[in-house]
Amino acid sequence: MSNAGVIFRREFAAYFNSPIAYIFIIVFLVLNCGLFMTPFFLAQLADMRDFFGNLPLFLIFFIPAVTMRLWAEDKRSGTFELLMTLPMKSSEVMLGKYFAAMAFYVVALLGTLPIPIMLAMLGKPDLGAVFGGYLGALLLGGLYMAVGIFTSGLLRDQISAFILGMLACFALFLVGVPAVSATIDGWVGGFGSFLQNAFGLMPHYQALQRGVLELGDLAYFLGLTAVFLVLNAVWLEGRKY
Amino acid sequence: MIEVRDVTKRFGTTVALDGVSFRLDKGEILGFLGPNGAGKSTAMKIVTTFLAPDGGTVSVDGIDVLRNPLEVRSRIGYLPENHPLYVDMMVHEYLQFVGRARGLAGDELRRRLEWVVEACGLGSVFRKPINELSKGFRQRTGLAQALIHDPEVLILDEPTSGLDPLQIIGIRELIQGLARSKTIIFSTHILQEVSPVTDRVVIINGGRIVADGRIGELERAAMGRNRIFVAYRAPAAAAEAALRDLGGLHEVRPVAGRDGAARFEVRADFGQDVLAPLGRLGQSHGWDLLELQESPFSLEDTFIALTRQGAVPREVSHV
Repeated sequence: MSNAGVIFRREFAAYFNSPIAYIFIIVFLVLNCGLFMTPFFLAQLADMRDFFGNLPLFLIFFIPAVTMRLWAEDKRSGTFELLMTLPMKSSEVMLGKYFAAMAFYVVALLGTLPIPIMLAMLGKPDLGAVFGGYLGALLLGGLYMAVGIFTSGLLRDQISAFILGMLACFALFLVGVPAVSATIDGWVGGFGSFLQNAFGLMPHYQALQRGVLELGDLAYFLGLTAVFLVLNAVWLEGRKY
Repeated sequence: MIEVRDVTKRFGTTVALDGVSFRLDKGEILGFLGPNGAGKSTAMKIVTTFLAPDGGTVSVDGIDVLRNPLEVRSRIGYLPENHPLYVDMMVHEYLQFVGRARGLAGDELRRRLEWVVEACGLGSVFRKPINELSKGFRQRTGLAQALIHDPEVLILDEPTSGLDPLQIIGIRELIQGLARSKTIIFSTHILQEVSPVTDRVVIINGGRIVADGRIGELERAAMGRNRIFVAYRAPAAAAEAALRDLGGLHEVRPVAGRDGAARFEVRADFGQDVLAPLGRLGQSHGWDLLELQESPFSLEDTFIALTRQGAVPREVSHV
């Protein structure tokens, strides 16, 4: 098994070693499906736009809660020293942890599959949009996850890591909201638009949600995810000095 | 072989290590002593590549810790000061995880697991969650983790801290058993634990090495003179006067003894035979000799002399 694979296995199991994983997944499903089903019965439309529309805000709380333990727990319990003296690169340890958290999120996301199945049975949903929505949910989760694992590394305390991660994800979300970028433009001409284009996630996410697959949107999510993972790796190496 | 040369490490404005050097040959065991906060753990973290030195070089088996940290790590088994345990795992899951992370698999992993469980006495808790283990078992699980890949070099930071006397003996015997084949550094601030395991010690204080050598040499060097206890059945004043007249003794100090005994602590240079003159002194005055023994300074005395602020005899520093 590869080095990252060994870490992945242990970290993924760690989520399910405690009841917290099950509570997380249940909360995720109940809230998401609940938020979706109420308007669904009113609008009577066979699409998942509302479901995916809620995610960017909802995941701001959910993802940092998943990632907060990734480094903070190890630093507090002393296992950080064990991990950082294993004969593997610190980036391999990090990727193992990152993908374990992603796998946990994917499990939660799989729990929502009954919705599209139900929609397909009841009507004729736009499967392209549903597929695009799930892809967007994955990419968005992956980006928040990278932000979360990075902030978890900066702090020793899980709650602080959670709050910092939440704030960072929220900032990425906010700069992409037109009203916010317009306000910033009002203060410093053009700066709000620049932030929105460079970092704001909503325009990219909404494109995916419509089922439009464009290289630019994929590059935004994957690129920014990579940036935060690299920052995390740099921190892991720099911490020694 | 471990070679630490002129290593410095700062945390902010605090100097944790200030020009630390020592060397350990293959198969040697080193007791790493010092008061709390002296820099023991920092030095061990640098040898294990967890921290990088600000200055100086460290190599393990000739491999530089900065240039090739992964190669160094694969040769080292490390027990950090805080139990490096995942308390949500069972003992066997945890040891399997560390074994796999260290590149073991299949039969080899199973063989090594059996060996460490036997060597560390973990049989009874093998399938228990770590958060249910006593402190002693946790420490042994940590030790098992450090041994799972059969490393050539063992770095143990306070391996016996918080254990009861029987558990300490258990860990000590384990280290002694490993001694033949491995290079070991273990730190402790409990001095009695050192001499049964090794006679090679390094004493560190305030980030500097204050002594490096065999326990016996250090004791002599640190205290300067031999110490002898002598007691006669005699009037105390007369005996003291006679001792002072004897010559060759540097210091004569009455100390408490049994009823009717005049008991003294005297100091003499090393290598000087004072036992025979002290014996004859009693005979010549017709005093019964009740006690006559050389009482070398203990490691404790040495340690205190070396680590007390401002009382460090310069000539003791071998580095």
